[in-house]
Amino acid sequence: MTTPVIEASNIVKSFGGVRAVDDVSVSVMPGEIHAVIGENGAGKSTLMRILAGVETPDSGVVRIGGTQIENNAKASIDAGISLVHQELSLIPEMTVAENIMLGSFPTNGGWTKTKEMKKIATDTLKEIGVEVDLDERISRLSVALRQFVEIARAVARKPKVLILDEPTATLTPAETDYLLSMLQRLASQGLAIIYISHRIPEVFKICNKVTILRDGKLVTNDSIDNLTPDKVIDQMVGRELKLDMTQRRPASELGELVLSAKGIKAPKVNGIDLEVSKGQIVGLGGLVGAGRTELLRAIIGADPRSAGRVTIMSNGKKRIITGYLSAIRAGVAYVPEERRTDGLALTMTVAENIFLPNRKEISPSGIMPRGKIATFAKELSEMVNLRPPEVTREAGQYSGGNQQKIVIAKWLGRKPSFIVLDEPTRGVDVGAKAEIHKLVKELADNGAAVLVISSDLPELLELSDLIHVVRDGEIAGTLSGAEATEKSVMSLAAGEKLVVA
Amino acid sequence: MAKETFTESMTVAKDPQDSKVTKPKTSVLGFIADKGIFFFTGILVLTAVLFVDGFASLQNVTDVFHRAAPIGIVALGMTFVVITGNYLDLSVVAQAAAAGVILIAVSNAFNLIIAFAVAFVVAIIFGLVNGIAVGYFKANAVIVTLATTYIGLGLLRLLSGGSQVFGPADGPIATFGTSKLGPFPFSALVLIAVTLVLTFVLTRTNFGFMIRSFGVNNSATRLAGTNTGLIVIGAFMVTSMAAMFAGFVLAAFSNTAVSNMATGFDFQALAAIIVGGTSVFGGKGSVPRTLLGVVFVSILSNVLVLAQVSYGFQQVAIGSLIVLAVTVDALGRRVSKK
Repeated sequence: MTTPVIEASNIVKSFGGVRAVDDVSVSVMPGEIHAVIGENGAGKSTLMRILAGVETPDSGVVRIGGTQIENNAKASIDAGISLVHQELSLIPEMTVAENIMLGSFPTNGGWTKTKEMKKIATDTLKEIGVEVDLDERISRLSVALRQFVEIARAVARKPKVLILDEPTATLTPAETDYLLSMLQRLASQGLAIIYISHRIPEVFKICNKVTILRDGKLVTNDSIDNLTPDKVIDQMVGRELKLDMTQRRPASELGELVLSAKGIKAPKVNGIDLEVSKGQIVGLGGLVGAGRTELLRAIIGADPRSAGRVTIMSNGKKRIITGYLSAIRAGVAYVPEERRTDGLALTMTVAENIFLPNRKEISPSGIMPRGKIATFAKELSEMVNLRPPEVTREAGQYSGGNQQKIVIAKWLGRKPSFIVLDEPTRGVDVGAKAEIHKLVKELADNGAAVLVISSDLPELLELSDLIHVVRDGEIAGTLSGAEATEKSVMSLAAGEKLVVA
Repeated sequence: MAKETFTESMTVAKDPQDSKVTKPKTSVLGFIADKGIFFFTGILVLTAVLFVDGFASLQNVTDVFHRAAPIGIVALGMTFVVITGNYLDLSVVAQAAAAGVILIAVSNAFNLIIAFAVAFVVAIIFGLVNGIAVGYFKANAVIVTLATTYIGLGLLRLLSGGSQVFGPADGPIATFGTSKLGPFPFSALVLIAVTLVLTFVLTRTNFGFMIRSFGVNNSATRLAGTNTGLIVIGAFMVTSMAAMFAGFVLAAFSNTAVSNMATGFDFQALAAIIVGGTSVFGGKGSVPRTLLGVVFVSILSNVLVLAQVSYGFQQVAIGSLIVLAVTVDALGRRVSKK
């Protein structure tokens, strides 16, 4: 038996008390295409960064070709590991040839050897079977070609192991097929490939072995021949929870339609219709990058949309939403994904943060009534159970969960008719999470229409009356009642149904 | 009810940190960036009183404020632009000169009321052009205001023929320019009045609140439902109004005006703002701080003059002071980010 080209044993890595990777071992043979799959946050990317030496594990060793290597990015590259990043890391204003050779320019006393650079770049592109002008600037290339150049850059270093992190996320089906056959060809020449993907059909098309991670732990490490798409999804999800509909009202008891969005088009959103009724919580499921945040921001006008019409019922009047300010006037409350950069002014006090969206109501004269602001802020902080409810403290001094409560509190004073939440409990501790869930349900019970994005499947199932699963900028399916399970959401999100059908 | 208590106790058990808040850590650099100006102004005044001949006289002190007034008024207004995180408004050089020339030339030709009205309209136009370009079109403030300085000075030169204008020796402008209230020259009183008004606007009005909020986090401020373009226009408008008053005060000093009379105001005003501890990154600062910065820079220049230090060295000293203040600001910010 040959030695594995890369072997990681008992890797552990924690971030602030959470075990992102928990005692995971994985090994890859030359010529093997090894899939690493799991839900969002299962620990795939962290594990890959450890293999590439970008991240240092708390414990465990990485061996390349049987020898343990120093844990830093340069040592890993020298030992033959190339990581193709999920976010493209090319420099848009430089040429194809320059980008391929980035970080390994052939030089002579400080002068770049242009001829040699172009020769290596040409050979590499030929090797992966891509034709592109060497002198073209990256900014003028299509997304797919950029992805191929990114791969060429990794291959140019003559690696033993190539790690790809969701390389097909932005590609069309035809481009994906091309990429997959390219990888098969590279593997047949003896390159070991680690392939991270959410897309089950791709895994079954090209991979020999599959490693499945769940909550940072290794659950499966098996040959593809022993697995089926169904089994894989079961393993990824691990639980079989049914949506508890008893807490929420059935569809027949829904109130009037609050949000009506038709034909929404924006970058990453390809024509989506969406409706939310009074008292209803609609969930948006799907993978990171599927276009959920883009959809939501296009609906409320936080980002421009290229097509589509949105109306919101507020106080018995139907209003057309043309931009973000008109959405706010129509009673929209937006709790954004990034609370530290988009949700709060961290160095301002809780009272000031709460005052901001309510300034016209509390301070119609334009001169701030300090006492009234403090009382108002205190009332809302207690409503969301901010601890401690000291409104003169800076928002940045609070923990993540409490910060999120401040973001919600600042909107509650406006009695919003349509509440939009993007990953409402990311980075929030268990207790605050339960409180935020309770709060969101109460708001819906009191008549608000709620639209929530969550990559946390149990959360999505617990909160939503209805779940739209978004894939590639379109609604791949809609689930409610007993048919909404972690597995059914995941299947739609990963596109597994396409193969079965 | 029982369920709620369970959640409560569960939270406490799971995360005892939850109800605690993290106290901001103070670093030496952060402390200097924040409180340094009070300390250094104290030391400077003390040193000047003890060791510099002629500093501690009423005549000299009122003179310092008198001289500091035009640049000080500009700095107080420009503080608004700096707090929004849009660096500065260079065009105050053209704006103050325009206001001065208009005040004298138009009141010579027509009367004082029309002169005020024309100057006011010109200030509004400057504020709008700068504000719209920076606020709505997200153009770089330094380059936009550098360009509007050129346009403003060019137009002023064309219209005034580039020559100095004089008011009548017994006119209201000349009278006002030399008047005093007790020992205080009018210019110093305008400086104090502008400080009080702008402090109130920045700390106690919705408009001032939005300026500060935008400076701390423009994205969160936008998403809370504010028209951020208007906020930036407002900040430039305040600066324009201040530059107009500064131009009036400067013209009234000597009862004359000329297009290059405010040369250097841009940089010296910025110096006072930064030395006062208002951050060039936006979001942090106040109007009284800028007044303190104005006082510090003026006293420093005064001390250097009284100590008969050459002008070249004075420039080196002020320039070094700014490099130091901006570096402390940047380092203090980096430390507090950790």
